[in-house]
Amino acid sequence: MNNNKNSTLSTNQSPPNLFRVLLAKNWALLFTLIIILIFSFTGKRFFQLANFQNILHLSTIYLLLTASETFVIITGGIDLSVGFVMGLSSVLSARIIEQLHAANFPPALSISIGSIVALITCIIPGLVNGVLITKYKVPPFIATLGMMGIANGMALIISEGFPVAYLPRCLPNIGNSYLIYILPGKAISFFSKPKGIAGEEIKELIRIIPNSLIFISIIIFILWHILKNTKFGQHTYAIGGSMDAAVRAGINTNKHLIIIYVLSSFLAGLAGVFYVFQTGIGIYTSFGAMYELLAIAGVVIGGASLMGGKGGIIGSVIGVLLLGVIENGLHLSGVDPFFRYIAVGLILIVAVIIDQSFPDLL
Amino acid sequence: MRNMVTQRNGIHRFFLQLGNKWAIIFLILGAILFSIISPGFLSFNGIQVILINSPFILFLSLAETFVIITGGIDLSVGFVMGFASVVSAKLIALFVGMGMNDLFSIIVGIVITLVIGIIPGFVNGVLVARLKVPPFIATFSMLGITYGISELLIKGVVAKNLPVLAGEIGNGSLIYIVPGKTVSFFIKPLIQRGGQLIEILPTVFVIPFIFILISAFILKRTKFGQHTYAIGGNVDAAIRAGIDVKNHLIKIYMLSSFFATVAGIMYVLRYITGKADAGTGFLLDGIVAVVIGGASLYGGIGSVWKTIIGCFIILVLENGLRMLGFPTFYKYILVGIVLIFAVLVDKLFPELIHKEE
Repeated sequence: MNNNKNSTLSTNQSPPNLFRVLLAKNWALLFTLIIILIFSFTGKRFFQLANFQNILHLSTIYLLLTASETFVIITGGIDLSVGFVMGLSSVLSARIIEQLHAANFPPALSISIGSIVALITCIIPGLVNGVLITKYKVPPFIATLGMMGIANGMALIISEGFPVAYLPRCLPNIGNSYLIYILPGKAISFFSKPKGIAGEEIKELIRIIPNSLIFISIIIFILWHILKNTKFGQHTYAIGGSMDAAVRAGINTNKHLIIIYVLSSFLAGLAGVFYVFQTGIGIYTSFGAMYELLAIAGVVIGGASLMGGKGGIIGSVIGVLLLGVIENGLHLSGVDPFFRYIAVGLILIVAVIIDQSFPDLL
Repeated sequence: MRNMVTQRNGIHRFFLQLGNKWAIIFLILGAILFSIISPGFLSFNGIQVILINSPFILFLSLAETFVIITGGIDLSVGFVMGFASVVSAKLIALFVGMGMNDLFSIIVGIVITLVIGIIPGFVNGVLVARLKVPPFIATFSMLGITYGISELLIKGVVAKNLPVLAGEIGNGSLIYIVPGKTVSFFIKPLIQRGGQLIEILPTVFVIPFIFILISAFILKRTKFGQHTYAIGGNVDAAIRAGIDVKNHLIKIYMLSSFFATVAGIMYVLRYITGKADAGTGFLLDGIVAVVIGGASLYGGIGSVWKTIIGCFIILVLENGLRMLGFPTFYKYILVGIVLIFAVLVDKLFPELIHKEE
């Protein structure tokens, strides 16, 4: 509290400082805008509606994983299992859909059964994580590392080491369609391509707002609302700020943390199911994918601290989009894709150093 | 009454001892179980197979042991290993291409790689110690940077064109015995086709074994080791005791990178290729082995020998399951369960931690 007062005082005394603080606070957004500007000069077909929609579409699963990681990191924990829980949910839902489809169930029914079963199953890893962390005081890093191995093994057993591929053919349409299709001057339709177009006309078709954007916007809005405006969100920040203070304030921290880890796992499961909708196959997470680490990177770039108590959904979204723009922009600029990994590393270091230099930001 | 109390204490102490030694007991039980179920497991060759597969996880977990004892973590070791494998493979191929002697170019390549391989650790150390970047983030950044650089070096394929000699070094054994005739060290005797040749102790195990002995000595008997524990136990106290914490941490991260580099070089000697993702699968196994060995991620606790036991638990599980015909998938699950179990044992017997010296 005292610290806070001091910082406001000092900012009142010197206005330029306020500017610098604002700059430091929004550097990720600013940096994203700058590199968008740069890439629109260097990148072929970068500054186009279709490309931006692509970036959003491909960021969907990262956004889900990062959102789940945001909640966990704000409480001061970490969830290393999200990437592999995602793979588990992906192969599990795909396997169920495949089996039901083979048994001649209607596609809609088999898809919904598969998705729902996978989503419910994905609560279990989170529940186990939460119980281990709260009741048995296992450090989050270890509990979720163990769960990562278990989820990975389960996913590989279910998929037998191969992608689960024999799914209904309409499945990828759900994840890859757009809200509005416009054929300039001729036709407009919603959710599916206008009928009776072929050949050259497809190239002229303008697609606006991918389904994945609608889907992710709703989820992100709900999560943002929970974190910003509800008691649950307040308690999350309180636990991350000071566990002891939260306990003294009468928060049931154990229950709250279990819910947080269940939520994290559930969102990872959602990402897995949505991945099936996007790709049309169920695929396990490979060892080098590093989804969880990239999700954590997104959260940290978004201004969260691994010590807990800091961070937010909007920041994390910007973090993910920054990484997405870099990947896409480098690719379209003809730069070797491996520079992306170097860029991620450098940006992360910058993020933390900026965070360290302005300790009174919150 | 008093008798009962002492008896209870006796039982309690027995369980304490059991809990303290659970890792080695678990290892022995696992080995016995597997050797009963699958007859080949405890054979001469079965054990050598485990030793041949051991060096990478041994080196990476050695690296993690030092870092974790200081209360940090090093996520970059797996990719520093890949980086080292790419750099050394490229260098050796380059020197051979320049017309140098095979052995000479291998040695020069390795030495240069060892020097280059310390750089990521140095940067990690500076970030962690001087710029106060959390170890998790600093080493993750370094993971991305080393991975990116090594993929750029090999342009997405593997580094090849190494001399045959490299493979002979990496796949050789310490002792060769031709029954009834000769015994030779390091150099494979020429034998007739179908002739019997006994190979004892793969070279790839001899090298980590030497490093294990050295690190166990450093950690246990030297000032450097004492300071490492002191920093992990309580940084403030370490500073007050006059330890140069910043420099020490930089050294620790450099040491960690050095071990990862040696692992990368071993990879090249063993498989005669350099791969950017050579260490992907071993990175987490390295951390897991340290934790199974009883180290605490909060720092201050852990030892080289316990880490080695942790490594061999993973190796025995992996090899045993493979010999029984299970796919590797089950290994991930079992290792995950053992990891959680390891920490639970520590939590259920909090006295264990204080029992250690």
